[in-house]
Amino acid sequence: MNQNELAAKQKKRRQVITIIVLIIVFILFVIPFLLVLINVFKTKGDITSNPLALIGEHGFTLQNFPEAMAKMDFWNVFKNSAIITFSATILTILFSAMASFVIVRNNWKACTLFFALMIASMVIPFQVLMVPLVSVYGGIFGILGSRITLIFMHVGFSVSMATFMFHGAIHSNIPLELEEAALIDGCSRWQTFWKIVFPLLKPTVATVAIIDAMAFWNDYLLPSLVLTDKEIYTIPIATQAFYGTYSTDIGLVMAALLLAMLPILILYLFLQKHIVAGVTAGAVKG
Amino acid sequence: MASLSLKGIQKIYPNGYHAVTDFNLEVEDKEFIIFVGPSGCGKSTTLRMIAGLEDISEGEFRIDGVLMNDVEPKDRDIAMVFQSYALYPHMTVYDNMAFALKLRNVPKDEIDAKVREAAKILDLEKLLDRKPKALSGGQRQRVAMGRAIVRSPKVFLMDEPLSNLDAKLRVQMRTEISKLHEKLGTTIIYVTHDQTEAMTLGTRIVVMKDGIVQQINTPEHLYNKPCNLFVAGFIGSPQMNFIDAVVGIDGDKVILKVGDNVLNVPDEEKQVLIDGGYDGKTVVLGIRPENISDDPAFLAENQDHAVKTTIKVHEMLGAEVFLYFDVNGTQMTARVHPDSPLRAGSDATLAFDMEKIHLFDKETEKNLLHPEW
Repeated sequence: MNQNELAAKQKKRRQVITIIVLIIVFILFVIPFLLVLINVFKTKGDITSNPLALIGEHGFTLQNFPEAMAKMDFWNVFKNSAIITFSATILTILFSAMASFVIVRNNWKACTLFFALMIASMVIPFQVLMVPLVSVYGGIFGILGSRITLIFMHVGFSVSMATFMFHGAIHSNIPLELEEAALIDGCSRWQTFWKIVFPLLKPTVATVAIIDAMAFWNDYLLPSLVLTDKEIYTIPIATQAFYGTYSTDIGLVMAALLLAMLPILILYLFLQKHIVAGVTAGAVKG
Repeated sequence: MASLSLKGIQKIYPNGYHAVTDFNLEVEDKEFIIFVGPSGCGKSTTLRMIAGLEDISEGEFRIDGVLMNDVEPKDRDIAMVFQSYALYPHMTVYDNMAFALKLRNVPKDEIDAKVREAAKILDLEKLLDRKPKALSGGQRQRVAMGRAIVRSPKVFLMDEPLSNLDAKLRVQMRTEISKLHEKLGTTIIYVTHDQTEAMTLGTRIVVMKDGIVQQINTPEHLYNKPCNLFVAGFIGSPQMNFIDAVVGIDGDKVILKVGDNVLNVPDEEKQVLIDGGYDGKTVVLGIRPENISDDPAFLAENQDHAVKTTIKVHEMLGAEVFLYFDVNGTQMTARVHPDSPLRAGSDATLAFDMEKIHLFDKETEKNLLHPEW
């Protein structure tokens, strides 16, 4: 075997190993979702007897969905989750995009300081702030148990990361000359941002939107601390209703989980193209 | 259309760096003014101060007599073409051109008429629905021009608008800009580091170096009567040859000694050297490549101004030939006829056209004959 054939064989071997590793990782990631998907259409008994079977002994059933929806008051908790996720995501995008525009385009010391503080705040884990947060907002201000409080907190916790992302996007992808051209064309600073800069941040907006919407939609810990009233529960908290002290109806849990997952999956499919563009923006000179 | 007045303009950055020092210029209506100079000479900074994109540290800038120092860019009635064109990528060509008019609440019909008229002038009619990314460099450049034209501003500012184009397109667009100036009759201020653009486009040229204006005059004047060594070297391609020469004055006779070569100085320069007391002093002799000849007829008439040398490099450019040679250790260039028999390695006698020489003071670098702007 000559050197060329040997090199070709080694290359092929490396490719095969890479593909096998990737398949294993893919399966590890997909298995939980597949388990939900195959068990959601089975009865509780079928799930318990053989959770890996594609179809249970009692066949295909949709019974879990109406039961789960009724038990968790689905439309109400869906509405709560939607209001909170939508509002918090929009506010995070608006505040962080505007803040980064000011930080990038002004050489003020205050901007540098605020940006440094924002970056620093990203390394503090939420769990550290959890107890003081609840005692301050619950004990002193007494504003727990409100959707607005949760939205406010979501925005507060996510705005640093979003500002960091918008900062990078404006800094590397929006040439200053575009803004100068807009100023000469007759734009105020405000108009320059909304008419020129913000539309060009679309890929970053999509990336921030999907990351934050996913985090807000799926968040369990913060809502569980803030939302004290059952009427304003979000989907992840409502799924608690299926976990009993002595027994758990796993079929209903699966149905609830799928219902919780679907909206965010649909959002991802819509924004997928922009997210890839957002992640790679600035990587290649256009 | 407008006249501009810049008096004592300075740009001093917070760290104390003087980007522009004491800039004075009166621009007449419909003039095509070129700011030219090497990188970092302050030409773009001055343009940006005129546009309102940079604050003026000191001095007064007026358009039609109205002080503009603190007026916002949008209220100066100017339009600017940027080096990168700065087209809005998310808008079509039409929207790019209509943007400024929309912001000024111009009626839709009027916007449409103006955009289509500008598109017609610039041959952009078929591209109005395209986004900038779907355009070639030359087309983008024309859209940037169109965006400026539709506003009918008092002054056009252009910051190296051709520098991103390839050589052929640059020549083509240069002609287009010249035609456009003729057609619109607008006052234009144009920044470039390309002296060919400066010479071909400008009615007057402002030559800058290190933030200081070196000379302001017409292209012909700058070429024929550069006021100092920098302007002489910057204007003209290939650049003017410079060589040290020792002045010898003997009564009415004045000579320049360049190594072993002796050159007789013509009457006009003679008197300046005598009056300035340059006897025995070294001056800088400047001569343009086209004023050095190997033509036998010219050589016969100018035996007193000839130098003997060996040709080092022969560059054939088709319509002309550049010959590179050394005189007293200094490399010089001659632009000669393509039929010239001289080749690399040839021993040659070349004559200087002494009527066209320039003499510069070694210390002040000023032109001894034409020190004024």
